[in-house]
Amino acid sequence: MTALTAPAATGTAHTHGSPRLTRWLLRLHRSALLVWTVFVLLGSALLLWLAGPLTDAAAEGWRQYNACGTTPRCSYDQDAILFYKSTYNYVAAAMAGLPFLVAAWAGAALTGRELESGTAQLAWTQGVSPTRWLALRLAVPAVAVTAGASLLVLLHHRAWSAAQGRIDTGKPWHDVWTFHANGPTTVALALAGLVAGALAGLVLRRTLPALLLGLALAAGVWGTAQLLMPHLWPAVTEETSLQQGYGHLYSGIQVDHGLITASGGHVPKLECYTTVSGGCARELEKLDAVGYYSTYHPVSHYWPLQLTTGALVLAVAGLGTAAAFWLLRHRTATPRTTA
Amino acid sequence: MVEYRIDRHSGVATYVQIVQQTKQAIRLGVLRPGDQLPTAREVVEATAINPNTVLKAYRELEREGLVEARRGLGTFVRRTLGSAPAESPLRAELEAWAARAREAGLDRDDIAALFTAVLEKHAEHPAERHTGSHVEQHFQGEPS
Amino acid sequence: MTTHTRAALEAVALGKRFGRRGGWALRDCAFRLPAGRICAVVGPNGAGKSTLLALAAGLLGPTEGSVSVLGADPARARARVGFVAQGKPLHPQLTVAETLRMGADLNPGRWDRATAERVVTAGGLDPDARIRSLSGGQHTRVALALALGKRTELLLLDEPMADLDPLARHDLMGLLMGQSAQHGTTIVMSSHVVAELEDSCDHLLLLGGGRIRLAGDIDELLAAHTRLSVPAGSADLSTHTVVESRTTGRQLSALIRPGAAPLPADWRTGPPTLEDLILAHLRNPGATALTTTAPARTEEIRQTEQTEETTA
Repeated sequence: MTALTAPAATGTAHTHGSPRLTRWLLRLHRSALLVWTVFVLLGSALLLWLAGPLTDAAAEGWRQYNACGTTPRCSYDQDAILFYKSTYNYVAAAMAGLPFLVAAWAGAALTGRELESGTAQLAWTQGVSPTRWLALRLAVPAVAVTAGASLLVLLHHRAWSAAQGRIDTGKPWHDVWTFHANGPTTVALALAGLVAGALAGLVLRRTLPALLLGLALAAGVWGTAQLLMPHLWPAVTEETSLQQGYGHLYSGIQVDHGLITASGGHVPKLECYTTVSGGCARELEKLDAVGYYSTYHPVSHYWPLQLTTGALVLAVAGLGTAAAFWLLRHRTATPRTTA
Repeated sequence: MVEYRIDRHSGVATYVQIVQQTKQAIRLGVLRPGDQLPTAREVVEATAINPNTVLKAYRELEREGLVEARRGLGTFVRRTLGSAPAESPLRAELEAWAARAREAGLDRDDIAALFTAVLEKHAEHPAERHTGSHVEQHFQGEPS
Repeated sequence: MTTHTRAALEAVALGKRFGRRGGWALRDCAFRLPAGRICAVVGPNGAGKSTLLALAAGLLGPTEGSVSVLGADPARARARVGFVAQGKPLHPQLTVAETLRMGADLNPGRWDRATAERVVTAGGLDPDARIRSLSGGQHTRVALALALGKRTELLLLDEPMADLDPLARHDLMGLLMGQSAQHGTTIVMSSHVVAELEDSCDHLLLLGGGRIRLAGDIDELLAAHTRLSVPAGSADLSTHTVVESRTTGRQLSALIRPGAAPLPADWRTGPPTLEDLILAHLRNPGATALTTTAPARTEEIRQTEQTEETTA
């Protein structure tokens, strides 16, 4: 009885103002919030460990290895190098999976299950309009996702930087997982995952199918972003003579490469790097090649690429949000416009 | 205070049952002038019948001058009904008659049949079920 | 404006179709439910009862026509309308006390804590019990507590009594009636069990195949019909509307809506029961529908809405 009356007293005291939705959204998804917090804390701890002791140990290993030179019997800390490498890969994989994790949760728990079980409709017949319900369901997780993902990205960038020049097998900036894990595209992708999941839940109104559709939509966004990313910023084209051979190849984000013909045309993706070998020489002669070209993004394009890709993903998320609101308004009764 | 008992299968309209039971209570002295009838809310919470049915019954009683509604206070009994309070000589006579009937070997149904037959001959029928009369909305406020 | 002239619920040419190619769940619905009534929405499964209630609650938008609730658009009337869906959805992870606290938080200024708690404690529920651990009847009780705690002018209940034992049913029905008696709350409840509504409801909406079959005050509807039994072949029913007629041997039994002319004195006639009336209309989908409370014209609705908006 006391448990029933005591908390309700605060409810009656609160007689004005808007309904306290955030509090109940957090209460209803308490376990998700807990899982997210643990995920972020664990990831942060791992990244701090990676940036500090693990990098130091692996760098020391590499120093020993390089000091060995051509000495036939020389010992170096191979375990530290391997441990660093696998830890780095696991963390990068976890960060790459982040948007999908968010999408699956949003589709299943945030909208899908609530619409399936009717608790969404319950909220709509309590003091909450459907649009406010959805707005809050997008805004509150968006804040949590942005905060958590940003922290992880910053720490990842710090860990990655710590290894540069010290660990020979450290991932280059343009490695696909490292590229995203180091920058704001991960945050944008996670937000797009949130929208993808929420939209899937609204469309299908069932937990499991929404989970799957949420994942598929998030994968679609990821794939599209990956496909378009090199074209969102003008790439650098480097032309070299046949004697010089290729200039920069696979040392940045590669867009295109191939041969330049006498007429000035480009023949793409011809994997002939030398004029010496017989097959290639004949081929080059046949094509009337006069040089090589390589179109790529150098490291200086890192931020332009991050920002344009992030903006593109956020624009898609924005469209998804608009679609979600449109769908909800279309389905439920919305205030008639007074003409 | 009266407690209404609604018999769903009696074939008598629910509001008529309330009217009859109220009159019975007034007639037997269970309700006396100045007594308050249960509020519509009390009646419907106990019986799960429609509030308008109770209000219709109370209006019927008011129309007959048996009760009066005082706004915001409730419905009160205005006068007694008939001249047969619980302790009247007529009741004593009836009790004596019933005892003799028992002695003569009549069972409950026999006595009831006999009594009803005599009653039918001497008294009027109770009010017939009204249909189609529009029930006007009027809700009773709780005394506050 | 006084309560008795206002409509709690009013539909004009209301229709709802699910999907572009789906069938019509509800079509050409026109009725008017005055405020303060207890209305039964009756019909077989799939008749459109839940659709109608969801449209009134603003959970669905109409495909055509319109429905207005307490003189306003359902989307604008949310705060004044309570709804309990058929599945009685509640958050399984919350406790009973938390569920009521959520109701208080989501309905600031409209929450009647005493009523909500009364509904729950009358069922002997432990406030600390999780919703997922409750029985069907207890679950319904909490869902009703949440709807009643939100002090509303209109309560829409979809099959509210379906999971309850007879005692709890009587109890909760009494509670609903008490709510209506005290606050003048209009209650609309659907069911396919006519008996459980007969004593509590004074208004009927009979749905069949997504259309209104009967709508109006129950007494008026009953008065508009007559049950008769006459020797077969002797009676001319052409001046009356025949809802249902059956010939057994030499006897013709029928349920009719008498026309203007008085019925011959030698016909054996009687008033139908509510169940007679409902079953006869459901058995004979071809019989013309009857609405005793005429819906107001569209212009009038518009006007009501506008007054509503200017005062709000």
